[in-house]
Amino acid sequence: MFTKVAMADENDNERMDGDNQKLEKMFTLKKWNAVAMWSWDVECDTCAICRVQVMDACLRCQAESKKDSYGKQDCVVVWGECNHSFHYCCMSLWVKQNNRCPLCQQEWSIQRMGK
Amino acid sequence: MLKERNQLKFEDKWIHMRPIVLKLLKQEPVSQAEWHDLFYDVHLVCLWDEKGPVKLRDHLHEDIVQFIKQAQKRVLAQRQEEALLKAYIAEWSKFFTQCNYLPTPFRLLETSLQGKTSATSSSNIQGSNNKKNASDESIVRKLMLDSWNESIFSDIKHRLQESAMKLVHAERNGEAFDSQLVIGVRESYVNLCSNLEDRLEIYRENFEAAYIQSTEMFYRLKAPEQLTTNGVQAYMRYADAKLKEEEARAQRYLEAGSNNVIQCCVKVLVGNPLSVLLAECTPLIKAGETERLNLMFRLLERVPEGVPPMLKELENHITQAGLADMEAAADIITQDSEKYVERLLELFRKFSKLVHEAFSDDPRFLTARDKAFKAVVNDTTVFRLELNTGRNAGGKMVTPESKCPELLANYCDMLLRRTPLSKRLTSEEIESRLKDVLLVLKYVSNKDVFMRYHKAHLTRRLILDASADSEKEEDMVEWLREVGMPADYVNKLARMFQDIKVSEDLNAQFRISTERHDAINIKILNAGAWARGSERVTVSLPVELEDYIPEVEEFYKKKHSGRKLQWYHHMSNGTITFATNGGKFDLDVTTFQMAVLFAWNQRPHDKITYENLRLATELPDGELRRTLWSLVAFPKLKRQLLLFHPIVNVPKDFDEHTVFWVNQEFALVKNGKTQKRGKVNLVGRLQLSTERSQIEDNQSIVQLRILRTQEAIIKILKMRKKISNSALQTELVDILKNMFLPSKKMIKEQLEWLIEHKYMRRDDDDINTFIYLA
Repeated sequence: MFTKVAMADENDNERMDGDNQKLEKMFTLKKWNAVAMWSWDVECDTCAICRVQVMDACLRCQAESKKDSYGKQDCVVVWGECNHSFHYCCMSLWVKQNNRCPLCQQEWSIQRMGK
Repeated sequence: MLKERNQLKFEDKWIHMRPIVLKLLKQEPVSQAEWHDLFYDVHLVCLWDEKGPVKLRDHLHEDIVQFIKQAQKRVLAQRQEEALLKAYIAEWSKFFTQCNYLPTPFRLLETSLQGKTSATSSSNIQGSNNKKNASDESIVRKLMLDSWNESIFSDIKHRLQESAMKLVHAERNGEAFDSQLVIGVRESYVNLCSNLEDRLEIYRENFEAAYIQSTEMFYRLKAPEQLTTNGVQAYMRYADAKLKEEEARAQRYLEAGSNNVIQCCVKVLVGNPLSVLLAECTPLIKAGETERLNLMFRLLERVPEGVPPMLKELENHITQAGLADMEAAADIITQDSEKYVERLLELFRKFSKLVHEAFSDDPRFLTARDKAFKAVVNDTTVFRLELNTGRNAGGKMVTPESKCPELLANYCDMLLRRTPLSKRLTSEEIESRLKDVLLVLKYVSNKDVFMRYHKAHLTRRLILDASADSEKEEDMVEWLREVGMPADYVNKLARMFQDIKVSEDLNAQFRISTERHDAINIKILNAGAWARGSERVTVSLPVELEDYIPEVEEFYKKKHSGRKLQWYHHMSNGTITFATNGGKFDLDVTTFQMAVLFAWNQRPHDKITYENLRLATELPDGELRRTLWSLVAFPKLKRQLLLFHPIVNVPKDFDEHTVFWVNQEFALVKNGKTQKRGKVNLVGRLQLSTERSQIEDNQSIVQLRILRTQEAIIKILKMRKKISNSALQTELVDILKNMFLPSKKMIKEQLEWLIEHKYMRRDDDDINTFIYLA
């Protein structure tokens, strides 16, 4: 019985918030600058082929990007059916020689690509 | 006719030739006819009398010698020095002029004499080759000069020299005389020499040697006298003036191209009293007597061992003065990075000016200055930065480093952020100050620490949109690149700018995609570019904020795939409106502060215990204490937002029963008057890391240094294959100096590690040589 009343109260409050914030509340939100970090959703942070963190561009891209505009964002990650992930650049060179995942030796087929 | 010619004898012709030759020698007028006859007769004698040429030469010789003997008598008749010289020079110049004329009629004689020694055909070629030097090398001329040398010069050269030197001596003492006399003697020495390889042989062995000797004698006496009677300062002026004087004099009296005299003067005037002169160096540097220092520098530069002690003195002085200055101002500069950097720059300017004025920016002095600056900048006595890795509790001490890079980075931040300082300055002033920072940074040995702090400040500025001038921000990155900061550091900064732009675009798209969210901005950043520590802080967001989260995530998922988001609430922030009974205020706050304050929305007048706030916000203990402290004791506020009881002085003394309540009397106080409205920024320094990640940060710097050192060692070994320890150390410092100065201890540890892991080995014969193992 007590809890019911409390809940009703809260509902009331919430509705009023929506309608008439400025009058009711001591503190009201004016602006929020939310910060988040994104990273590739991978199991292992490092690309097993080039040994660079997957969040950074692969070795080749780093070397090349020194010449043109640095920090290009297009060195993406690729996941195989086996769920192992590598730099797409690294893997596309790898499969030319050996169409197997370097980590588990299963036949390589792309499950998805990072975007 | 032919017959007559056949019978032509030298003796017949010589009778006619001789008077003309004598006239020529005596410089008496010779008619054109006589001159022509001489040519003709020489021609005949050489052509028709087989023994003619030789005889001709012998007779000529005899007459020349005769003439010279007479000349000698005339010269030696003079008793007085000046007169003797005058007479000699008069005779000599007469004779020397004739040396140019007399040989002309005897050209044919020369060819026929030469023809005897070499084949005719080759002599023709030789003749044409040597045409230019014909008069110089002519046999008659040589005959004349040699005769002069043997018969007069050898006899009186000592008297001549002595007289000349006496004149020079008199000149040194300030008496005027005809300088032509000395010059004349010198010329006779030079012109007399018939040695083709070394024309100055006679001159050097006699005249120059005598000159040097007399010069040395003169100053050997004078210099100590000057020094004792007039003191060092005056002596330096004296020595400088005398050296200049002697240079001018040498130019007048000596052949060009030899520096022996000046070297001798330098030795006597500067080299001998060197220690006395050097003793004066420190007081002069201390007093900033640039003119005198410059004089001293000009003098001491002339002796090889003169400059190095001066360099040492300068370096010591700058180091000592700099450190003393820093120590004297320790109280201010350890607190205020602006004052510190300005103090440092003032010091730099002062000594750079000294080096410029006193030493004309001589590279050696610039190096000494730089060495001293390095010592000042990297000194750890005034303040130190300990890269506390949390591991050294077990007695493993980390060497303290100068805090300078941290202060430099703080100063940069003050210039680049919107601050009172950056508002006060014009764009050009800011630019020149940033350049100043880069100048100081050049001397910092732990540049990686600067970059860490700089990056942290940049992160704050970008996340809070607090940059004063975004163009300048990017300029700064390029300047850092220009001064040689390692590319990977600088690229990371550049990447942050790029990323923030990407994020701005994303934010714009997000705001279009939803209609109700004009209160939210999102920054979704690349973790690779921004985040270091993995640590996030849990917080229970107020519902107002919590509501946004799923929508943003939903939106992001549509844009990208394969990515996961982590919310960095310790970096996020916002603006809230605070309504009290009497006023309304906009507060810029962190998300943590927001979470705490919103707890009162349901119960505005309640006193809430620490424990209940902890339950409501779910903030970790340390974070909650820190956040509460920023609300009860914000330095810039006269009236605080929250009040609490019981009173404590540090956040760690809050206990779970401490109660907090909103200060309903909150107001801004400006010029003693309370304001009903206004805006306050309570963010302070945006927190990027927690205590734990601070240690992680330090560890990562130390760890990175270890890896960089290993990497550099391998790089060097790969190239050299085999290298001695000392060479390796030099190259290593060279590679790493733009990041940090590797300590000897660390290098040793890493070498051991690499040997243990079979990347390299010590040479069997020499343990101080390393060999690369592929």
